Amino acid sequence: MSSESALSAHLLSSLFLSVLETMASVVLKTFAGLRRSSDNSHQFPVQKPAKVHFRKARIVASRTCPKLSNRNLRVAVIGGGPAGGSAAETLAKGGVETILIERKLDNCKPCGGAIPLCMVGEFNLPLDIIDRKVTKMKMISPSNVAVDIGRTLKPYEYIGMVRREILDAYLRDRAAENGAKVINGLFMKMDMPKVQNAPYVLHYTEYTGTKGGVGEKKTVEVDAVIGADGANSKVAKSINAGDYEYAIAFQERIKIPDEKMAYYENLAEMYVGDDVSPDFYGWVFPKCDHVAVGTGTVTHKGDIKKFQLATLNRAKDKILGGQIIRVEAHPIPEHPRPRRLSGRVALVGDAAGYVTKCSGEGIYFAAKSGRMCAEAIVEGSENGKRMVDESDLRKYLKKWDKTYWPTYKVLDVLQKVFYRSNPAKEAFVEMCADEYVQKMTFDSYLYKTVTPGNPLDDLKLAFNTIGSLVRANALRREMEKLSS
Amino acid sequence: MSISMALFSAPASFSPCTSHSQTPKPLFNLRPKRPQFNLLIAASGDSGGAAVAVSVTEEQPMAEAANGSVAAAPAPIAEEEKEAEVVLNTFKDPRWVNGTWELKQFEKDGKTNWDAVIDAEARRRKWLQDNPESSSNENPVVFHTSIIPWWAWMKRYHLPEAELLNGRAAMIGFFMAYLVDSLTGAGLVDQMGNFFCKSLLFVAVVGVLLIRKNEDIESVKKLIEETTLYDKQWQASWLDENKKD
Repeated sequence: MSSESALSAHLLSSLFLSVLETMASVVLKTFAGLRRSSDNSHQFPVQKPAKVHFRKARIVASRTCPKLSNRNLRVAVIGGGPAGGSAAETLAKGGVETILIERKLDNCKPCGGAIPLCMVGEFNLPLDIIDRKVTKMKMISPSNVAVDIGRTLKPYEYIGMVRREILDAYLRDRAAENGAKVINGLFMKMDMPKVQNAPYVLHYTEYTGTKGGVGEKKTVEVDAVIGADGANSKVAKSINAGDYEYAIAFQERIKIPDEKMAYYENLAEMYVGDDVSPDFYGWVFPKCDHVAVGTGTVTHKGDIKKFQLATLNRAKDKILGGQIIRVEAHPIPEHPRPRRLSGRVALVGDAAGYVTKCSGEGIYFAAKSGRMCAEAIVEGSENGKRMVDESDLRKYLKKWDKTYWPTYKVLDVLQKVFYRSNPAKEAFVEMCADEYVQKMTFDSYLYKTVTPGNPLDDLKLAFNTIGSLVRANALRREMEKLSS
Repeated sequence: MSISMALFSAPASFSPCTSHSQTPKPLFNLRPKRPQFNLLIAASGDSGGAAVAVSVTEEQPMAEAANGSVAAAPAPIAEEEKEAEVVLNTFKDPRWVNGTWELKQFEKDGKTNWDAVIDAEARRRKWLQDNPESSSNENPVVFHTSIIPWWAWMKRYHLPEAELLNGRAAMIGFFMAYLVDSLTGAGLVDQMGNFFCKSLLFVAVVGVLLIRKNEDIESVKKLIEETTLYDKQWQASWLDENKKD
């Protein structure tokens, strides 16, 4: 792609960046607009500013939400990862009768394992589940230009590295403490309700603890379902949620000698380049006592082993003498499923496809979406006293889209601009050397808000970005001349 | 194998001439494009056994890491060969010092020859593209393209293309002005006063800027589609709400 097209791509993206908030409000007006048109034709409850009045109006309309007599609302959460655990906790705290179905209670899900600072505060995570606090990152370009980022971090800011089995178990146990019932079982399918407020019938296989046992088939009736069962979600299949594009993330855990491990004490590395991945990055993340070296790709899944070898090659000096202790891979969704909600079944976390582009971050968004969905159910059911319906669950979607769409969009634009080609990746690493970029990046990553910076600095940043992209593309043209 | 060894030693003595910015046909490009990748895959495929004898032992230590429990026998051989070979396999250039280009060595008549710096960096990147190297902490790369001043880039890349585009714009402009004048009788000054003509002028300028080759039309269309795809994927859940019931 010629540098000029890259230029226009970037101009487009810097336009996006500078008017993102107005764009967000415009787009979300469209969301609301769509909703209102359907409201008029189907007499669903309209947007309510004060709940009290419309509760009365709803009863008058008489289509929805009967009060439940002699029982609380029953909700099943399928999947016990961060999304399921936090959803179950919020539901149980809200007075809803909750069951959490998880197929493998000691599952070590293949994962980068990085959580932002805000997650520790928002979810009251104890500091001992964090294995390592990463405060420095190294970005390495295709031509091995290495840039250290993290100078702008304050002393109390860090990226937490966790082991998924520890984090997931903690969140599940906390949900159980609050009243949720944790079941070790595998969800098979669900029967849709035939009439208006009939329950969903879930079929699952419960593992009773005898090793090697096939488990017994059981069913349970619930009023609502939260699908938190990850990228290969069965709940999503049950509601015909549709498919998404996904990346394959391939990771090898390597135990390296102590003196090499000292280098990774609180440092993580990111390798970009077409040799490492055509549309993603390779990483070396420190874990509790070993490092995880991996890479991922969407478009060239068949070459993942080749990309992994290239990543190992690029990190070779630093992981020499290491022993591979585990090889793992997992799909990562690239965008939300076409349908995240159907009836009284909602998807959260990876099952919904809430993984950001560019960085591939999913843990925080999974936990947050689980919590948001559960909050919507608790609110819609008035702490478990009323039945809920689809519109209550839609409120979670609306709140989610409104809160996090700017973050997702910005990361999507960054991926489109900077992961396009080797020159773009070179420019990306060059830009990361800039202090303003580091500050903006870390602020938005650690606190999950897209803060508009100083406009003058933004303009300077836009110029520098264009400059870097133009120079990198010019060098690529020279490289092409050399090979011809 | 021996040929590749000979070619490996070539770059050590190869010094690109700085007297003219003509890019000399690099000797090392004659080497097969990706010998290391193929041998790489062979090395890890055979569990390190048969592939040890291969000369590209830069990969051996990596293969050791990859096959943690591989027999210790290949390892000592690999170490020695690796010591000898690693010197030849990395990017070598007398002007590349401490992870960046030493600008003093590019001086010509007292001023730095920026074109030569650009050529040298392009060659380094090309080398690395064909022979990916490990990033090392002892010899970090700290080169930043902004040390080359903006006017050097402009002179070399922007100005020739700007000349081309301005020429095109001038030709189109002259022809369209003549055509409109002959059709409507409005001279150049009258055309400029008309809003429709001004917007046509704007379209012409944007067209010349964005569409320089025939392929650009397709790529502009794809770009527009790309910018809105993600939004569509997010809005899909809301469209569904309208469709059902």
